[in-house]
Amino acid sequence: MSLTPAVSSDDRIALARAGDETAFEALYREHAGRVYGLCLRLSGDRGRAAELTQDVFVRCWEKLGTFRGESAFGSWLYRLAVNVVWMANRGDRRREDRVMPVAEPDLLERGTTSGAAGLAIDLERAIATLPKGAREVFVLFDVEGYGHEDIARMTGIAVGTSKAQLFRARRLLRERLER
Amino acid sequence: MNEKELQDAARQLPRSIEPPEDLWPGIRERIRQGKAGQGGGRRRKYRLFVWVPLAMAAGVAAILLLRPHGETWTVQRVAGAPRVNDAPLSASGTMRVGQVLETDDSSRATIAVGGIGRVDVQPGSRVRLVRAEATDHRLALAYGGIHAKVDAPPRLFFVDTPAGTAVDLGCEYVLETDSSGRGRLHVTGGYVEFAWSGARSVVPVDAYAETRPHRPPGIPYVSDAPAGLVAALDSFAFASAGAAAVGKALGAARSEDAISLWHLLSRVDVSERGAVYDRLANLVSPPAGVTRAGALALDPKTLESYWGRIERIHFRIVVLRGIRNVDARTGRTRD
Repeated sequence: MSLTPAVSSDDRIALARAGDETAFEALYREHAGRVYGLCLRLSGDRGRAAELTQDVFVRCWEKLGTFRGESAFGSWLYRLAVNVVWMANRGDRRREDRVMPVAEPDLLERGTTSGAAGLAIDLERAIATLPKGAREVFVLFDVEGYGHEDIARMTGIAVGTSKAQLFRARRLLRERLER
Repeated sequence: MNEKELQDAARQLPRSIEPPEDLWPGIRERIRQGKAGQGGGRRRKYRLFVWVPLAMAAGVAAILLLRPHGETWTVQRVAGAPRVNDAPLSASGTMRVGQVLETDDSSRATIAVGGIGRVDVQPGSRVRLVRAEATDHRLALAYGGIHAKVDAPPRLFFVDTPAGTAVDLGCEYVLETDSSGRGRLHVTGGYVEFAWSGARSVVPVDAYAETRPHRPPGIPYVSDAPAGLVAALDSFAFASAGAAAVGKALGAARSEDAISLWHLLSRVDVSERGAVYDRLANLVSPPAGVTRAGALALDPKTLESYWGRIERIHFRIVVLRGIRNVDARTGRTRD
């Protein structure tokens, strides 16, 4: 008698769509780190990132019925996350032009170290100080690997704006990392 | 730093950053508070013009689901040359109540179980349609194997075997038996109850139960149960090994095997019940309200309450396998 995996990833999605909280929790556990990382870098604020991560998964719960399996679940979820963060940032005028305090993510709280780890921490700090629009495009393009067309589709900005923001972000980052 | 070095450094940043705290409780609370409708939800935005057609559709669906299906079920040939009442089955056909589907060593067929599910009949099987009613969809598996997947409220689909009856509780499972009733149930989704002459085993996802003729169903065990436990449960259930087998089972059981000990509790001799309870309580602490006295008296509410905790932990272990390490004693995830 074969021992097939009892609950596959597809099963979890199907169970969650049917209202099973435990299956949905499993999806949360699987993807929380990636979603939180995205929210943290896009928002530039740890507390805000936690709120947004919750918003993303609540939105995911609401929208699970529309997931058709045409892409990987993770890809679908991360796009949803980008959309949620983007809309939240646009809708929150209080945060307009916000510049993040330097040491928000846990990994930034270890202090500067040498070598590749040190470079990563410096880079994280520098990303956090970018203006919002530049930071968002840099994170999506250079960290997450989306193309300008994808970014334009997800966020509603023009492809040209995306390219301009990326150029600006890279210039600012180089300047700040070379100080 | 030049542009390429910057891009390389950006791509090497970890994409995943663990949240500083567990955000799940907040998400769960928001979901439970009904702030979010599940499954394409946005329920709060639905208006009457949405609900009325939905209600009508649900009514039609209910009528279709619950109406008698004319005592015939559709059968499809999957491979080889299955036969219905000795007549070769072409691409598809029907089975009426009382008719028998047989597959030889190279044949397979699929039966549509009314409107509630399907049964894949494995090679070398004999299946009879016993009843095709709205509240009783029933097959008899004389020998061979089936893979059943049912999407319906519990206790609408039954499979009789020579050793007892598998009762669907909303599930997917594989059931195999020989003509004497010696067989095995493997549940791959949901729960199945296997009942014989008043005795029953509730088999959850990722668990097995053995069957033997003229015996209560075997004690369920999880797929990765220790071999010593499986052997002891087999000896207890089918070889009348009694206290010796119980002792071995208690010694071999882990917290992950609580479903087995919970079943043992009501099967062992009253003189052994205390030892079984104590071991079970040591492996998975009983929930509030469950007392030793209540458990030893086999108080239904007590047993049901304990089972609720055990099956919840079991389900978390199964569903979070490969994602999170679940403490089998508590059901909590370990960081």
